[in-house]
Amino acid sequence: MFEVGRVCFKIAGRDSNKYCVIVEKVDDTFVIIDGQTRRKKVNVKHIEPTDKVIEIKAGADHSVVVEAFSKLDIKIPLKKSKKPTERQKKVKAVKVKKEKKAPKAEKKATVKEEKPVVKKEEVKTTPKAEVKESPKVEKPETELEKSLKEE
Amino acid sequence: MPERKLRSRSFRRVKKVTPGGRNVTHYERKKPKPASCPVTGELLKGVPRERPTKMKNMPKTRKRPERPFGGVLSSKASRAVLKEKARQ
Repeated sequence: MFEVGRVCFKIAGRDSNKYCVIVEKVDDTFVIIDGQTRRKKVNVKHIEPTDKVIEIKAGADHSVVVEAFSKLDIKIPLKKSKKPTERQKKVKAVKVKKEKKAPKAEKKATVKEEKPVVKKEEVKTTPKAEVKESPKVEKPETELEKSLKEE
Repeated sequence: MPERKLRSRSFRRVKKVTPGGRNVTHYERKKPKPASCPVTGELLKGVPRERPTKMKNMPKTRKRPERPFGGVLSSKASRAVLKEKARQ
């Protein structure tokens, strides 16, 4: 009963009340379905077979299933992909940051140029130990010494 | 003796112990009956038993199962209905 190409009706879960086709048979209990439902592996208990059969190969693409369903007058809604809009905001934020950073760097550069480089000349003045020379005081010769010299 | 308006049993009585150790009774509004399936009569899973004020602030996905007839029919009943539809 559950062969490839059999049109079924989903009776359980979020995709119930929708038509699908068996695309591949995994084993006795599980099959892979596609169509109005999402393409997924399901238990045989969750689908109810109908009397319609489509000619498709095992493992057929979603586009092939859509074409086959159009002949049976079963519409499959197209999936709309969302456009990424958040990226633009991020780019703007980065630009603002760069602008702010640039003038700061310039200011720093100009400030450095304007400032004259003043190197402190360190004059090392080692305090020399002042040696006080004691002035020699010549003592007047006494009379005794004079007399000794004469002798 | 409780207040005049609290003497009817439309309010639920809850006994509580205060932080100071006193035993007091609080009067709270009763919760509605749990949701059940009209076909099989079993209680519905995934449907919270809350007063309308709380249910109002809940998102849809927390109030019922995400499938056709979710929150109305049980899974067994909904399968039976859909099977009949497929065989027509």
